[in-house]
Amino acid sequence: MKHANQKLSSFYAWLLAIPALVLIGLIVVFPIFYTGYISLTNMNIFNWFTFRIVGFRNYFNALFLFDSGFLTALFVTVLWTVLNMIFQLVIAFTMASLLNIEKLKYRKVYKTLLMFPWAMPGYVSILLWKNGMFNSQFGLLNQWLERLGLEPVRWLANDVSAFVSSMVVNLWLALPFMIMIIDGALQSIDRSYYESALIEGASWLKRSISLTIPAIKPIIGPAVIITIFTTFKQFDVIYLLTQQVGSKTGARIHTVLTYAYENAFVTNNYGYSSAISMIIFALLLGFSLSARYLSKGENE
Amino acid sequence: MKKLERIGLFILNIFFITVCFGVMVPILYAFSVSLNAGNSILGSDFSFIPRAFTLNNYRAVLFDQPVLLWLGNTVILAVSSVTISMLVAVPGAFSLSRLKFRGRKHIVKGLILLYSFPAILSMFAIYRLLSPLGLINTKIGLIIIYVGTMAIFGLLNLKGYFDSIPGEIEEAAGIDGANTFQKITLIMLPLAKPALIVTGMMVLIYVWNEYIYAITFMTGQSNYTLAAGLYSLQATEMSGSWPVFAAASLVVSLPILVIFFAIQKYMVSGLTAGGVKM
Amino acid sequence: MKRIITIITIFIIMLLPVGCGGSGSESDEANRAVKLTIWHDKEEGVAAALKEELDKLKPEIEVNLERKSGLTEALKLVGNDPKAAPDMYFFAHDKLGVYSEMGILTPITEFISEDELLNFLPMTISAATYRGEIYQLPIYFETLLFMYNRALMKDEQVPKTTEELYQFMQSGAGGRFGFIEQHSTAYYSAGWIHGFGGGIIDLDGTALLDNEETIRALGYRKKFVEMMPGETEYATVTVLFIEGRAASTIGGPWLVPTIRQSGVDLGFAKMPVVSETGLPIAPFSGIQGLHVLKVAADNPVKNGAIKEVLTLLLNPDIGVAMAKASGCAPAHLLSYEQDEIKNDELVMMMREMAESAVPMPNIPEMDVMWVVLDNLLVDINMRGVDVVEACFEAQKRAENLIRAMR
Repeated sequence: MKHANQKLSSFYAWLLAIPALVLIGLIVVFPIFYTGYISLTNMNIFNWFTFRIVGFRNYFNALFLFDSGFLTALFVTVLWTVLNMIFQLVIAFTMASLLNIEKLKYRKVYKTLLMFPWAMPGYVSILLWKNGMFNSQFGLLNQWLERLGLEPVRWLANDVSAFVSSMVVNLWLALPFMIMIIDGALQSIDRSYYESALIEGASWLKRSISLTIPAIKPIIGPAVIITIFTTFKQFDVIYLLTQQVGSKTGARIHTVLTYAYENAFVTNNYGYSSAISMIIFALLLGFSLSARYLSKGENE
Repeated sequence: MKKLERIGLFILNIFFITVCFGVMVPILYAFSVSLNAGNSILGSDFSFIPRAFTLNNYRAVLFDQPVLLWLGNTVILAVSSVTISMLVAVPGAFSLSRLKFRGRKHIVKGLILLYSFPAILSMFAIYRLLSPLGLINTKIGLIIIYVGTMAIFGLLNLKGYFDSIPGEIEEAAGIDGANTFQKITLIMLPLAKPALIVTGMMVLIYVWNEYIYAITFMTGQSNYTLAAGLYSLQATEMSGSWPVFAAASLVVSLPILVIFFAIQKYMVSGLTAGGVKM
Repeated sequence: MKRIITIITIFIIMLLPVGCGGSGSESDEANRAVKLTIWHDKEEGVAAALKEELDKLKPEIEVNLERKSGLTEALKLVGNDPKAAPDMYFFAHDKLGVYSEMGILTPITEFISEDELLNFLPMTISAATYRGEIYQLPIYFETLLFMYNRALMKDEQVPKTTEELYQFMQSGAGGRFGFIEQHSTAYYSAGWIHGFGGGIIDLDGTALLDNEETIRALGYRKKFVEMMPGETEYATVTVLFIEGRAASTIGGPWLVPTIRQSGVDLGFAKMPVVSETGLPIAPFSGIQGLHVLKVAADNPVKNGAIKEVLTLLLNPDIGVAMAKASGCAPAHLLSYEQDEIKNDELVMMMREMAESAVPMPNIPEMDVMWVVLDNLLVDINMRGVDVVEACFEAQKRAENLIRAMR
């Protein structure tokens, strides 16, 4: 058993990893293959249980979906992802660093309160924002504006303000997670890195960039990448705030997924919808592979 | 210097109080609605202190709905999912972080990429998978879904932390004759405590708030989780009352906050400051 | 090393019972009773009324009512799975075309004869019919009503025509808003389109959004919309009306308890007649009733029990009980001979509405129309797109989506 970690057989390593991999295989990988399979069939409500393989017909049909509307949606999605990630990382890092200043007594209370948005199911929070905050007649924001003698604003009615509003809600929902991840990472690196932040001010910023961030980067890396993907795929926030059937607000901002939803998934044509899912998947894969390729080029 | 520091701390506290208030506005709103008599989330004269104060909405949540039953279901699902998640993710992450074997790098990269699949249609596939096994409408089925969904995150997140723990420590332990199990339990886990807690918390919150699988795969009110029950209480056009819904939302969130508050003192790494240079 | 193996063994053991953990809970002692499961999505009171009636079949038949959130999606998943599907479901009629095409429904006429359905409101039977087969036993229905706040709109001020309504809105007599409704949702705007003699989709699945009637209706309605608040989802409309900031509204019966509770002196009136056509605004109606799943009908043990259940529910009393619990109106004509129904202003108003109301189309193609029409309304009412242009655009989108369904 000496020097075991170098000499352990591959078999042993796999043995440890296999339970997790099996579960991932069942719940994450299998659906991808299954969707790929369905995308080759004519499964729709008219052939719900009697579908058969029809080849690439759905992919051919799906190409019509990738028109200018889709390209706009793609652009909006990228913008949405980039902006959200920048704000998330900057804000979360600042908050987590400040929370780790040793002499801050009520840190636990602050942290707990900051976690609150995360402790509620997402749809509850979104409904709360939509009806309680943004509603143009009764929303809290407009009540405050009115008290200040300002004109009420229809927050969700035009595209730009709806986009910003959705981003605020998304940040509100996502920041607790990011703060927790960065906080956890900061906990496991050397304390002296950030301890002196309070008195050192500007030079703290420098140290953060040169020392702290490189140190936590490998730790938070996976969580950040996962968040990038979930932000890209974010559906609930924009859909529930502005487009829910029966309570549309007038804005028409589409991300790739809301666009696909309105233009394909509503048809109940699973073959067709699956083909579109697979194409979006391929698109995202392409994005992330090329991003990785580019960042590698930079490093060298 | 001392004085400067005190002023700094004061400003910092003010800052956090403001931020916390800002973050809490929608929640305080819900709180106020939940204490209000009448059946509306909206009103043109909102104030954080309800005009017609009542606790009836909370009573309605706690006694008219089988909330305790839902809580029980949720706790069972949450505890099992977190436990199993940890049991599979810790050895898996250890393996990916410490043991060199063929294909390791590809696994890590591949796992991350899996997240880019738009899972909107996954429900159907999972149903096809679980149905022949008789796992629809069972807690075990849901647990498998939850653990599987969170497994990638758990693996990668733990691996990230494990990577940051210097290898020399276990090497030393290896020389002292520790086996892999001992290395994991005696060295890695205490050092990676924040990571374990963050990961466990993530799984817990996911299970706590997940409702789509819970409502689709579970039938009958007595099998609901809290989030699913809450969803069924949702104020729709036909039925439902906003104040009760708001009260229920807060009741559902409370246990998570209590756990989070209580768990924080364990979130400090065993790696003491300056103990090991990175 | 050993311990790791132990851990893994423990893990495997934990996963093992997975296979056999399943449906054990239902295998109660071999009771003679036939057990039936009905899924529904109704409030407790409504379900209790149904349950009370069905309990009369005990001990031979035991019916279990299970409330299912996300019922429509769940049925798509489990519809033909005898282990997971319910035997019947209680829901609105508008999804029955989808399920019938999927092949998971059995016509109720396999259990009861068509003659026994003669005593139901014709509207409810036509709503239950898809491709010549009747798939739903209607129990009660709802439709939108014209409601007004007597403090703001006197009985003699109630508009008979849409132009009168417009004048009332313009006069400012009714306070901040003379009339409000959820103007940019498909469900609420359908009434106006029908009032112009138009429709959303016809029986064979052709979208009608670029029809002259539809274009005229949406163009005419715009001047009303301009006098309403921009944001008019359900909560906003309800609160504006309850708080006395809007004099009249078109809303569903589900609003009534909330409004009455808030102390508004509520009046009901007939729908205004569209001045241009002489037709009343004719809103959609939704008919709630019982559907039978094919997997249950094919089961010889359950088949007989289903017949018993349907036969029992032909009784007009159940319509009365459930209508009272839900605030809606019974589907059975004989229910209206009972005093408690006769004296209920709200129910009688809905009964009257049933003459002109249009059941929501039950064809599968309607599923995509909700989305398209919603977007069309947003374009016209909130984004200022030209009516004709928007309607043609929407028609194209509808046709594309309908084509994509196949």
